[in-house]
Amino acid sequence: MQIKESKQGEVLILTISEHLDSATATVFESRLLGLVDRGERKIVIDCGSLEYVNSAGLKVFLLAAKRLEPLGGKLVLCALAPSVLMIFEMIGFTRIMKIVPSLDDALKALGGEAAPA
Amino acid sequence: MHEGSITVRLPADLREIERLNRIVRQFGDLHEVPSRVLYAVNLALDEVVTNVVRHGFDDATGQEIEAQVIARSGEVTTEIADAGRDFNPLKVPPPNLEAPLAERTLGGLGIHLIRSLMDGIDYRRENGKNVLTMRKRIR
Repeated sequence: MQIKESKQGEVLILTISEHLDSATATVFESRLLGLVDRGERKIVIDCGSLEYVNSAGLKVFLLAAKRLEPLGGKLVLCALAPSVLMIFEMIGFTRIMKIVPSLDDALKALGGEAAPA
Repeated sequence: MHEGSITVRLPADLREIERLNRIVRQFGDLHEVPSRVLYAVNLALDEVVTNVVRHGFDDATGQEIEAQVIARSGEVTTEIADAGRDFNPLKVPPPNLEAPLAERTLGGLGIHLIRSLMDGIDYRRENGKNVLTMRKRIR
């Protein structure tokens, strides 16, 4: 798995790719929760290049969303591949997390401006 | 789909799961298992092996897990055997999918995925081993 980080205004964008599984979830967890601890409150996870996620990876999204909520923060996921989105639906995360089709939608959901074309 | 089977013995190590998935993918391609079925089988295998490695042993070093995948008569069957502690995943309570975010807990997600992805799951304890059999139909 690869993780890239960028900032657009107040919004922190993490782009993750390839496999988010039992072997890689701990790295993603410490990175994402570290950002929350550092004070980031508006976080987008761009899953456009994410090919695979298992329950170890799903737990990281849940942990981060749960930690952000009482802090007044928000986690938005975008651009999930159909096979990945299916897993989020199966586990009921589409009810409790903001999941949108594109990065632009994610930025709009967090009150920011759309990315420059 | 062509009939056939493959048996993989792997060390009880999370880093081995990607290799197992690669082998099963090759088997699936060779036997023309539909990609939707192959995806489900691989994810379910991943979840089971993850559970065994994480919780099956006090020390997983040197332990092995055996995974068998069988393509036959309209379904793909997988059987996973481990000599870890007695554990029947079918007894794990399902997560509450209706709960609000603050009340959602981290447990039981993997087992729930397996139940959702597979058409049939059986567990037995046999000769000191956990044996989990999962079936996925080719529709």
